[in-house]
Amino acid sequence: MAEIDCKVVKIIVKKDLNSFVNNLIKDKTREIVGVKAKGEKFVFGPLENADELRLDYDVTILPPKKYFLPPIETLMDFNLEKPFDVQESDVEKPRVIVGMHPYDIIALEQTDKLYLDSQKDDFYRKRRDNTIIIGTDIQNVSERSFAASMKTNVTESGFDLMLTNLEGKYAVTIGSEKGKRLLEKYAKTTAATDSDIKKIKAIRKHIASQYTKKVEIDKKEWSSVLVANYDHPIWEKKSDECLECSSCTMVCPTCFCYDVKDEVSLNLKDGQRIRTWDGCLLRDFTKIGSGEVFRGDVKERYRHRFFRKGNYLPERYGFVACVGCGRCGTACLPDIANPCDVMNELSHFERSDDTGRFFIKQKTEIQDKGIIHIPKGATLKRKEKLTVMEMLFEIELDDKKPLGHKPGQFVEVSIFGIGEAPISVSSAPSKSSSFEIVVRKVGNVTSKLFAMSVGDKLGIRGPFGNGFNVKELEKKHLLFTSGGLGIAPMRSLINHVLDKNNRKKFKNITILYGSKCPDEILFMDEVEEWKKVDDVRCELTVDQCVDDECWTGCVGLITTLFPKIKLDKYDSENTIAVIIGPPVMYKFVIQCLLTLGIPEENIFVSLERRMKCGVGKCGHCQINGVYVCKEGPVFNYSQIKHLPEAFE
Amino acid sequence: MKPRVAFFDFASCEGCQLQIANLEGEILDLIEIVDVVSFREVMKEHSDEYDIAIIEGSITRPMDEKRLRKIRRHAKILVALGACATIGGVNKIRNHRPVEQVKKEVYGDTDFKDNEFFDTFQTKSINEVVPVDCYIHGCPINRDEFKQVIIALALGKKPEVPNYPVCVECKKNENVCLFELGKFCIGPITRAGCNAICPTNGSPCDGCRGILQKPQIECIMDILEKYDLTYEEMKRRCTMYNMSIFNPSEGMTFARRGSK
Repeated sequence: MAEIDCKVVKIIVKKDLNSFVNNLIKDKTREIVGVKAKGEKFVFGPLENADELRLDYDVTILPPKKYFLPPIETLMDFNLEKPFDVQESDVEKPRVIVGMHPYDIIALEQTDKLYLDSQKDDFYRKRRDNTIIIGTDIQNVSERSFAASMKTNVTESGFDLMLTNLEGKYAVTIGSEKGKRLLEKYAKTTAATDSDIKKIKAIRKHIASQYTKKVEIDKKEWSSVLVANYDHPIWEKKSDECLECSSCTMVCPTCFCYDVKDEVSLNLKDGQRIRTWDGCLLRDFTKIGSGEVFRGDVKERYRHRFFRKGNYLPERYGFVACVGCGRCGTACLPDIANPCDVMNELSHFERSDDTGRFFIKQKTEIQDKGIIHIPKGATLKRKEKLTVMEMLFEIELDDKKPLGHKPGQFVEVSIFGIGEAPISVSSAPSKSSSFEIVVRKVGNVTSKLFAMSVGDKLGIRGPFGNGFNVKELEKKHLLFTSGGLGIAPMRSLINHVLDKNNRKKFKNITILYGSKCPDEILFMDEVEEWKKVDDVRCELTVDQCVDDECWTGCVGLITTLFPKIKLDKYDSENTIAVIIGPPVMYKFVIQCLLTLGIPEENIFVSLERRMKCGVGKCGHCQINGVYVCKEGPVFNYSQIKHLPEAFE
Repeated sequence: MKPRVAFFDFASCEGCQLQIANLEGEILDLIEIVDVVSFREVMKEHSDEYDIAIIEGSITRPMDEKRLRKIRRHAKILVALGACATIGGVNKIRNHRPVEQVKKEVYGDTDFKDNEFFDTFQTKSINEVVPVDCYIHGCPINRDEFKQVIIALALGKKPEVPNYPVCVECKKNENVCLFELGKFCIGPITRAGCNAICPTNGSPCDGCRGILQKPQIECIMDILEKYDLTYEEMKRRCTMYNMSIFNPSEGMTFARRGSK
C-alpha cells in the first residue's frame, strides 16, 4: 500500500458529514446521488436527505455506470422534414455521486480508456466532466465479491474525495482540486493526525481480510490462462446452463457495449436517435443486415464475455476488465457468470506465452475527428439499378468536400427515423465531392434507400476502417478475387489501381469475379473496360446458369477459376492477392491461393461484421480481440489466421 | 396515401383493442397517419378495403379459420395483436385437455352438433393458420409498442420486435430480482418489450409475450434448488400462457426427480 500524505486527508465527524451532504443537496446546482436501500439491496439514486445515505452498503444492484452511460439515452433529436437540422442532446445537470466503492471507481477509469480515446464519446465526456465523485472505502464486503484478490478493494486515484469510516468520524482523502474546493465550501473539517492515517491503513487491511471469495490466478495471468484454454470443455459445460439473458453484462461495471435505434413520434416528424445498453450474450448481438449471425452458438457468446474481460481488453489497454464486484454472479440464476469461479476452475490448466494471439497491434489512423455520433449532411445525387436486388447510389456531402476515403473503407449511411447501416465505398478515391456505394436491399435502412429519390437528404459518418494500404501493392502483380457483392468495395480498389495515373505503379493484374447467376453480375460494362487495360486479365464465373440465360462464360464456384491462372514461383512470391466476398468464400479461396504458392503475408481479406458505431466502442464487430471497424475491415491473412472467429 | 387499417377480433377479451381505445387523445394523431376503416370498439362503420389488418384473439373454431383466411387474402400486412393472437394466450390453457372433455365441461350434455358457432377445436394462434407479418405481443399489449409498430408501418419500416428476454429490461430498471424474493419468474426466457412492467411492480413474469427458448431442464432444476423454490410454483407460473418449458412427458420425469 502506498504512503498516504497526511496533508491530503481531512477529518469530518459523522454529523458534519451529514451536514456536508445536506448542504450539497440544499445548494440545488447539482444533483446529489448516493447509495440508498432498496428492499434488502442497495442502489444509487438521488438523495433527498443525508439520512438516506447508506455508506455501509455491500454492493449496489447496478454499478454507477448508469450515470455515465445511461441504460437509455437520447443522442440527438431530429425532424424528418428538416433532416439535417440535428441537435445533439444535452446531458443532465452537474452531479455529485456519493459512496462509490473503489472497484466501481476503477471500472470507471477503465471506461475512460475506451470512451475518451482519440474518438471521444461526447456524451460520456460531458457527464464525466460534470460529475464529482465522492468514493467510500468498503465497510461491508459483498458475499460474491472477490475484489481483494483483484486488488480493486482500494484505489488511490479516480475520485475527487474518498471517505473512510473511522468509527464516529470519517477521514476524507482529497483526490482533486475539485474535491478540495467542494469540501472547503460545504463541509467543516479538521486536520488529520498520523494516528488517523494509521487507522485508515488498518481499516483497509481489515476489510481486505474479510473477503472469503478469492480468485486464485493473479490478474496478470488471466490472459495467458484464457488463451491456452480457448477450446477447454468448461465453455461448453457452463454455457449449457446459460439462459442467454445477458443479465451478467447488464449489471457489469465494465460492460459498455451499446445499440442505437431511431424512434419517431406519432406526427411522423419529430424523432430521436436513442442509445441503449446491449449485451454480447444476446443472440442478435452480432447479427448483420443480411441475417448472418457470427457468434451463433451460446458457447461462443459465453466464452466471448470472459475473453473480452480477461484477454481482449487487457491486450488492448493493459487492464483486466473485471473489478471483482461479483454483481454478475448475483444476477445469474444458474450461477455460471462469476469470473472468479471460472478462473479458479481454469487455474489448474495450462498457460500460454502467446497472449496476443487473438489481437492485432496496429495503429489506426483517425480521419474523422468530429463528433462521433452526428452524421454529416449529404444528398443523393444519382440512383442506378444494377440488378433486381442491387442499386448504386451516388452521394454528395453537403459541405462539397471529398469524402477522403481509401479503397476498402466504409461509411455509416444514416437515414433519420430508420437508422444506420455500414456500407463500403465502391468508388475509387477522388477529388470529387461525391462517392458511390452499392446496396443490396436486405434491411430497413437499405429498403428505405431504395425508396429514396435523387435530391433526398441522408447522413454519412466516416469513412471508417483502415482500408487498403495501396503502397504495399506497388511493384507487385495483383490478384483480386471477389464474390457477389464483394465486387462493390473491390471496385474501389480496382478503379484506383487502373487509374491512368496509377496503373504503371503495379504489375500484371488479374481480376476473378464470381456471381450466383448471370443476372447478378454487377458492373459488366466496367468489367469490359478493365479487360481493355494493358496486362489486365478478367475471369468471370457464375455458380449456376439456367438454360435460357445468355451466358457463354464459365459456370462453377469461384474456385473453379484458379486452375486457369498459372503463376510460376517468381510470380507467386511477387503477387498480392485480395479477397472480398461472402463469409463462406474465404477459406476455399485462401486454400487456392496457398496452392498457387502465394505467401500468407501477401494475402489480404476484407471482412464483414456488424459495424454499428464505426469507432470501436459498441462492441458488435469484434472478431476475437480485433475491432473490424478499426483494425479492419482489411486484414493481412497472416495476421488473423490464428483468430478462431475470423473464418468460421 | 395513408394506409387503411382494419381491426378484427376472434376469441379474446378485446382488452388489447381497449388499450388502443385508451390512447384517447393520441388516437387523433394516429388517424392523421392511418385511415381506420374498421374498429368495432370505437366506430360503427366498416369497410373491407384495407391494407393493414390487425387481428386480436385466437382461433378456436373452423368458422374462425375461414374468416381469418379471407382477411389474409384482403390484407397486404397482417398484424397479430396481443397474446391470444401471437401465442394463443390464455385460451390455450384448454389445449391440455381433449376438446370433447372441454365441451362437456362448459355446455354439459346439450347437443350443438349442427351449430357452427359451437363447433370448436384446439386453440390456435394466428400464425398457426395464416402467415403473420408483424407481432405486437403482450397481455395486454403495451400501448407505446403499438404506436411504434404503426409508426414503423407508416414509415415503410419493418417493426422491430425485441429478440431478448425480459431480464434485460428488468435489469435496466434496477429491480431486485424476484428469485431473490422467493418467487419464480419466467422473465429470463420470455420475450421483452413490456419494459418488464410486471417484475418492476413486484409481480413475477407470466410469459405473456412468448417464450424465447427452452432452457435445459437440469438448469431449471438447479435454479429451483438454489432459490429454494418448488416445482409447483414453477408449474403454476408456466400454466397461464402455456409456457411449455418442458414437454409433459419430461415434466413428469422432472416432477419425480425434483420432488420438493
